[in-house]
Formats: sequence, structure tokens, C-alpha cells
Amino acid sequence: MTLSRRDILKIGGAAAALPLLGGTAFAQEKLKVGFIYVGTINDNGYNYGHNQGRIFLQDALGDAVETTYVENVPEGPDCERVLRELAQQGNKLIFATSFGFGDAVIKVAAEFPDVKFEHATGYMKADNVGLYNARFYEGRAVCGTIAGHLSKTGKAAYIGSFPIPEVVMGINALALSGRRINPAFTVKPVYISTWNDPAKEGDAARALIDQGVDIIAQHTDGPAALQVAQERGIVGGFGQGADMSAFAPEAQLTAIIDHWGPHYVNSAKAVIAGTWTAGDTWEGLKEEVVQMGAYNKKIPADVVADAEKIRTGQIDGSFKIFTGPIKDNTGAERVAAGVAMTDAELLSMDWYVEGVGQPV
Amino acid sequence: MQFRLEKRAEPSRFMLYATPVGAVILTMIVGAIIFSLIGYDGIGAVREVFLTPLTNAYKWQDLGIKAAPLIIIGTGLSIAYRANVWNIGAEGQFVVGALAGTWVALATYTMSGPWILPLMILAGVVGGALYAAIPALLKTRLNVNEILTSLMLTYASIQLIYYLIRTVWKDPMGIGFPQTRRFAASAQLPTVIPHTIVHLGVPIAIVVALVAWFIMSRSVFGYRMRVVGAAPHAARYGGFSENKTIWLAMLVSGGLAGLAGVLEVAGPFQRMVPGFATGYGFTAIIVAFLGRLNPLGVIFAGIVLAITFVGGEVAQTTIKLPDAATGIFQAMVLFFLLAGDILVRYRIRRVVTTPAGAA
Repeated sequence: MTLSRRDILKIGGAAAALPLLGGTAFAQEKLKVGFIYVGTINDNGYNYGHNQGRIFLQDALGDAVETTYVENVPEGPDCERVLRELAQQGNKLIFATSFGFGDAVIKVAAEFPDVKFEHATGYMKADNVGLYNARFYEGRAVCGTIAGHLSKTGKAAYIGSFPIPEVVMGINALALSGRRINPAFTVKPVYISTWNDPAKEGDAARALIDQGVDIIAQHTDGPAALQVAQERGIVGGFGQGADMSAFAPEAQLTAIIDHWGPHYVNSAKAVIAGTWTAGDTWEGLKEEVVQMGAYNKKIPADVVADAEKIRTGQIDGSFKIFTGPIKDNTGAERVAAGVAMTDAELLSMDWYVEGVGQPV
Repeated sequence: MQFRLEKRAEPSRFMLYATPVGAVILTMIVGAIIFSLIGYDGIGAVREVFLTPLTNAYKWQDLGIKAAPLIIIGTGLSIAYRANVWNIGAEGQFVVGALAGTWVALATYTMSGPWILPLMILAGVVGGALYAAIPALLKTRLNVNEILTSLMLTYASIQLIYYLIRTVWKDPMGIGFPQTRRFAASAQLPTVIPHTIVHLGVPIAIVVALVAWFIMSRSVFGYRMRVVGAAPHAARYGGFSENKTIWLAMLVSGGLAGLAGVLEVAGPFQRMVPGFATGYGFTAIIVAFLGRLNPLGVIFAGIVLAITFVGGEVAQTTIKLPDAATGIFQAMVLFFLLAGDILVRYRIRRVVTTPAGAA
């Protein structure tokens, strides 16, 4: 991990400052931090990414925190029970890491006003419920650039979970950036109604490849689709949430890596310091919450250079993928030339850009 | 040396009821050994999975709401299985019952009144029964195996959820997330104990099991189901129509699964979501067998399975046991139960083969 040296310095600095705080710092109890994941930490994708964030937090703050996680928590009443369980066991900061936990978080948060909750990718806030999210779409814009260059058939597919704005945004970013390179580039979205079901993800990938797709992007949690891409020898796909090259060394062109650790550290520090407030953060490549994996060796240098331009452009703010003119897939103009979409517009996006097939 | 299984003339009645208890105890012992061997705190695992949910009063309410659907579905299945009708698709009937209830809740969204909830429950029972009627019809008319059809219809029912919540039932305020809107107050199942999450479904589950026990042991209907299952030839001779029995078994088990479904959607969920089907209908199969196909036993078995779910989560948070451990414990209970059953019904005899030429 590239950040480790900096963190050691940080921790060292914190340790040096400790004596200045006197006895109170030592008298303080450990902050218990709970995490709930919708899938298993071994999915090598989204949930793995969150768990890496938890480990990052534990390593960074050491004895100041005690972290616990519960995996495979269904999005429904079971989640409510797990949240209550974590709160009753004394966790004062709880991260609910999947969209569908929203109802349960709001309900349980009302019963435990002294516990801070943070809900990833959600939209419902409360006094003790903060939101945090990552600009995954910035990574999709890099992926789309590579896809536009490399796809021979000009057809890409996007295996999604549910048609929520976060996923719609990803599909649109992939299509917009692919079409900047190849105006005939199209994206076919398929929704499988789950975040994590390797059998369904694999089946969808197989069916799409049979339809002539040679690039597969996914917004589901595991590497199943990439494994199919590897097996069938298509141009490739992209790791989601974590580097999946171990599963598909040829097929993974690059990966969108979620790096939640620094956010978890900041939140835990804020709770310990008593300065936590219900935030609403949406960070991306610039803050390194979203990172790109290594580019596959088979990608030509000029394509890598183009992809890097998009990546660095989004970091320094010179490039925004959702800048007009943007037409939707019925041909109507949605965003005027030169206008960049606002965050509010992005977070309620429910239409597809030109070149995206209407999902059934 | 060879062994042979020999049928016992009369299985011990004591053993018949002791086996489920023995299976649970064996699961704890073997579980502790296995988890110790692979490097976890094995005794701690068993304590957290099986005992903490019982000793912590906070957990009782969780046990109640987790056990309620298992008991209701398990009761229906125990009646059907008694009659040798193998309804494996309770999960699908659970889903369709919930969808029927959701339909009523959404259709009456702007209305209020105490009649809405009973109407939803009625719709749920009818929905579940109608969905179970499909395998019943195929079985009685075309002699299609009900195990296959009822199981396949489960997957169809889940696609039906996806279809409805993505199109006509989509929450207008849900920023595109495929789920229905939250039910209005009149369509939500009330809690029965103030300041807890224990909803009306919990007492209903107990009443359903008690009524079913009474009917199965004291009525002609119960007698019929038991005789058809235990002695099909005698039943036919006695004038009990086989087809009629299949219909009754499927409708009762489907109707009860539908009841569990509507109580679940109106209680803990309060809206239809894509993840509604979490496997209660399949777990209830274990519950029915662990309960010895007896509604009173089903209450006990439903609570045991609920303990493993709730305890599995406790073990994850307290001793970092992986989630898969819950599945291992549940599977071991069923394994030891079935293995125990063999020994209760059969005895193992050593077969002594006399060497050729001797004597």
C-alpha cells in the first residue's frame, strides 16, 4: 500500500503528541467501531474493499479502536437486528456499507441517539446518521476510455445490480467516455437484482458475450464476470471495488479500487475527539477514495496515455465527464454544451445517455 | 466383516422424541470440536451460537420474530409431509402471499381503517394457497412430481417480485431503487409488547401451531392426512381419495406459507424489497423434520433454528466467527437428526459370513 509510509508518520506524530494531552487520553476507553457488509469479505470486490478499509482503520489507530464486522447481512429486517446487536454491544460508530440498509439504519439510529451511524451510498440522513460515498463514476470514465479504444465490436455490456443513480451514473460515464473515442460505441445494461451472486453474474456475462459484446463492466461485487471474460478470451473487463487481476490476469484491463480506509480513520478520529457531525461526503480520484488498478500489459502505450489523461484530468479538475452536450438515449438533449452537471443532478440520475440500450 | 441395516419392528417412542434433542446436543459437541480444530474458540462458538440468544433478554424478541415465520411455514409443511405430499416450494408460496398482501396495502394506500390488515392477511393466505394449487393441479391431473414443480415455481415467484417492484409498484420517492413505497400505518402489523419489535405475527405463529396440533390429533382431517401418509393402501381402501388429500395438503401448506409471507412483509419489512425472499421457506423444511412433523415439535424446532441465526450473528461480532458457521451448525443439526432416525428405525446387525468349506 503506497500510503503506509505517510501513515506511519501520522501515527508517530499522534504518539508524540499524546503526552501533551495528559492522563485523559489514556483514561479514555477504546472506541468500538462496527461494520456491516452485504456480502462476504472474501468476495474480492466491494465488501473486500470495505473490510480492507476496516483493517486500515485498525492499523492506523491501533489501540484507540476496536473494530468488529458482520458479513452477509441481508438488506431487510435482519440488518435491523444486526445493527441493534452492534449498538447494544457498545459500538459507538457503525458503518452500514450497502444502499439497501437505509431503512434499518434510520430506524435503529432513532433508538440509539448516542451512537453515530454512517451509511455508504445512501440518501437518508438524520442527526446521528451521516452519509459517505465515492465517485465511482470517475473510475468508469477511465475504463470507458480504454474500452472505446480496445473494443473491436464496439459493444460493451454493464452488469448492474439495481437501476439506482449510483449505477446509472456508472453506465453513463462508461458510455460517454467510450463514445468520445469511438462514436459508434454502445453499452448494454443488464440488471441482476443482487449485489453478489457469482452464478448470476457469470450467466449474465456468458449471455452477453454470445451477443457480441467484447467488453464487460460490472457493478456487482465479485470477480465472476471477469472470470468468464478470461475464459472466453474477449477483450476484457474491469475489476470492481478491488484489484481482481488474480482471477483474470488477461481479462482485467484495469480496476476501480475503493479505498475507504482514510475516510474511516477520519470519522473514528472525529468521534474520539467529540467533533463528529452527520456528514455527507462524496470523494473520488482526487481524495484517493477511488483509485485505478494497474493497467494490463496488453494495452498499447498510447491508450494508457489517453486513460491517464482522463484520470489526472479528473484529479486536477480540468476534466468532468458529465459535461454537455449530452443527449439521452431517446435523442433529446439533456445537458447544454459546456455545462457540467451538478452533484444534485447526478445523485438523482434516472436516464441513460445516447448509446446506452434501454434495459428491459 | 459386513453390516446390514435391519428394520426394527417397533421404533422406540422415547427415542423418536429424544433424537431431535440428541441431534442438537451432538451438533454442539461436534461443532465445538470442529471449530477448535480449525483454530477458533470452539466452546465459545457453541456458547455464543446456542446459549447467548437464550440468556440475553434483548435477544428474545429477535428469536420471536425470526422463529414466527419458520413456525407458521413449518406447521403447514409438517401437515403436508405427514400425507406424503412433498411441497418443497414454501418459499415461493411465502413470496406470493406477501405479494398479494402488498397488493392490498398499495391499493388501499390512501385509506385507513382496521379492516385493511385483516384483508391483507386474507389476501396473503389466498395468494399462497393459489400458488400451491399449481403443483397440486399438475400432480393430480398430469401426475407431475410436486417436488419439482413447487421448487421451480419458487424461482418464478422471485422474478415476479423483481418485475412488480421495477414497474407498476416502484416507489415514486425511492430515487429509482426498485422497491415499493412504505406501507401506510393501517397496513403495518402492530407490535404486541410495547417498546419491543415483537409484532402480532409472533402470537399468531403460536396459535397456528396449537390449532394445527389440535386438528391433526383430534379431527377426521388430521386422521386422514396421517393415514394417507402412513398407509396409502389402507387409506384408499378406507375411501380416502388420494387426489383430494394432495389438494388439501398443498392448499393448507401453501396457505400457511402465504400467511407467513404477508405477516413478514407487513411486520418487519413494511414494504416489498428485492431481497424479500431470504430463505424462510427452505429453512422451514428443516424445522418441519426437526419438529418430527408435529406442530408442537415445530414450535420447538422453529426456536432452535432461530437461535442458530441470531446466535450466528452474535458469534460474528463477539468471537469473529465467520458467517458460514451458521450454515455449518444448521446442516449438522439436520445431518445428526437424519442419521439418528436411521438408527431409531433400523438396527445395525453384523453379518457373519461362514467361510466356505467350514462346518
